[in-house]
Amino acid sequence: MTLRVLPASLLITALVSALAVVYSSHVVRGLYSKQQVVEYRQWELQEDYSRLLLEHSTLASPHRVVSIAQEDLAMTSPQLSIYRVVQPQNGRRR
Amino acid sequence: MSRSKKIVAKPALWRLIFIAFCLFVLFGLLVSRLVVLQVVDQDRGARFLKQQGAMRSVRTAEIPAYRGLVTDRRGEPLAVSTPVVSIWANPQQLKDSVQIARLAMTLGQTPEALSERINLYSDKQFMYLARHQTPDQARAILDLGLPGVRGEREYRRFYPAGEVVSQLVGLTNVDGEGIAGIELAYNEWLRGQTGKKRYLKDLHGDAIRNIGVIEQARSGKALALSIDLRLQYLQHRVLQRAMVETGATAGAAVTLDASTGEILAMTNHPVFNPNSRDGFDYAATRNRVVTDVFEPGSTMKPLTLVAALESGEFTIDSLIDTSPGRIRVGRKVLPDPRNYGEITVSRVIEKSSQVGVTKIAQQLGHESILDVFQRFGLGEPSSIGFPGERSGVLPNRQRWSDIEKVTLAFGYGLTATPLQIAHAYAVFANKGSQVPLTLLKRPESEVALGHQVISKEIAEQVLEVLNRVTGSEGTAQKARVEGFQVGGKTGTVHKVGEAGYLDDQYVALFVGVAPIEDPRFVTAIVVDQPKGDNYGGGAAAAPIYSAITDGVLRLHNALPASEDESPQFVGLGGGA
Repeated sequence: MTLRVLPASLLITALVSALAVVYSSHVVRGLYSKQQVVEYRQWELQEDYSRLLLEHSTLASPHRVVSIAQEDLAMTSPQLSIYRVVQPQNGRRR
Repeated sequence: MSRSKKIVAKPALWRLIFIAFCLFVLFGLLVSRLVVLQVVDQDRGARFLKQQGAMRSVRTAEIPAYRGLVTDRRGEPLAVSTPVVSIWANPQQLKDSVQIARLAMTLGQTPEALSERINLYSDKQFMYLARHQTPDQARAILDLGLPGVRGEREYRRFYPAGEVVSQLVGLTNVDGEGIAGIELAYNEWLRGQTGKKRYLKDLHGDAIRNIGVIEQARSGKALALSIDLRLQYLQHRVLQRAMVETGATAGAAVTLDASTGEILAMTNHPVFNPNSRDGFDYAATRNRVVTDVFEPGSTMKPLTLVAALESGEFTIDSLIDTSPGRIRVGRKVLPDPRNYGEITVSRVIEKSSQVGVTKIAQQLGHESILDVFQRFGLGEPSSIGFPGERSGVLPNRQRWSDIEKVTLAFGYGLTATPLQIAHAYAVFANKGSQVPLTLLKRPESEVALGHQVISKEIAEQVLEVLNRVTGSEGTAQKARVEGFQVGGKTGTVHKVGEAGYLDDQYVALFVGVAPIEDPRFVTAIVVDQPKGDNYGGGAAAAPIYSAITDGVLRLHNALPASEDESPQFVGLGGGA
């Protein structure tokens, strides 16, 4: 009995494992292509991020802020005489 | 019938067996050969063949790592890595293409120049066509679909703040390794780990299948500096303008927070643009605040004052007779601008009187003055670890001549960097304790530990004298800041040439502490070779200090405390 069942079961196991190998390599290929897509997306996002970071720092650069404040908005540093120092309610000052 | 059958069948059987046997042997030979090639590992067996196959088709590629961001203390970016594409080609495949002219046009080169370069590398497998193209530019080139032309992902470093922090942040080379400044000093921290992946290529070198990642790329870590970009920009602007006004060849400025040891701003002149590598001056990449040493001159007189006060022989109100306005030491005569008569020790510093300081120094001896210099950190490198940093030298002589003993008290005969001078003054601003310097932002939870260099009382007395230097009798009236009380000391030093001190070339210095009631910010200014009559520390360097400190105090919401123009105080609910 065992002499007959053993080869048969080994054969089936081998077959199943062979199919499993085929299946898993298929899955790996699918996952790998997904990873590629995600990696490309990451690259693109990083591209956007760096560009926005640079754009932001260009727009917010002290150079630009100063020239807009002084030329377009005619702003100046306040004179000392118009300073108002707000004290905390309990009157505690240094 | 049956006989004839037997006659036909008999020879057929042994022939059949023979043929079958031959075929079987041949088949057996094939199988054994296969086993030899695939399983048995002889000298040209399985492993050798596998290797040969891999050599022809499996390639390893690098995955670039993202270099960490450098920011200022408020998170403003100072150095950013952006993805770019480098275009390369296999000249063997490209050289016969008819589309070279179109490629040259897209690359922005002349067809002749490109053909020449391709011919130059015609026996190679690899040449760069254009490095660091923006992704859009690269796409335009790759979309031409030329044989052997491929793109490679890389990162390029951009410096959004440009020349404002150029010497401090430094540079990376074209391969993304730090070569100067912070980029070099913290290269290991910033750079990350390049990854590796394996792929299969076809005959033309195109990747057909990725096998997998051997090593993941690891991104570099971000670095927050102690610099405040707003302050850095302000300091840069003030310094550049002053360089034009004074006609100086070089200049440096540094601002410290004495309570935490953080360097808030550090600028130099001349500057360079770190975003363009075409024809920049390597001398301009020097961070003069830490790499240039010179004699600190009169800015050391407050340290001599410390030695005088510590000796117990002087108070700031002790009287010193400076008549007749000059004094002979050895073979030299040291003059004052005019005869100040009998003045207090405080007034000696205010007026920067040579005669007064000489008399103090002669009474103290040089050892105690040298000891104070040493305790203030002069002659020793700071803790910031900046590439190319120098530490200056304190004199170490067997025999001291009379004039050497005296000039040490004026700050001659020793050298220091602007940073060291600022750090020495931080002692006065921090109740006599000196906190180690840092270029990195200190976490707010971290308490900066200093060590007590001088007593709190002496620090306060020196501060009071420094404040008087900017007063109506002092040498640094131009250092005053409207609405605040500040203190500092000027210095004017002869430059050293090949044949000793030069008569017509000076270094103008100013070091100041602000605000006097709650001292915290120390700023040192150095102006190298100011032209014209306004070459002194009080005329060339003090106004720069005033403009910078005005901004420093405003940005930190310091409370104005001027005697003449007091601001109005209102309660919280009151409004104004």
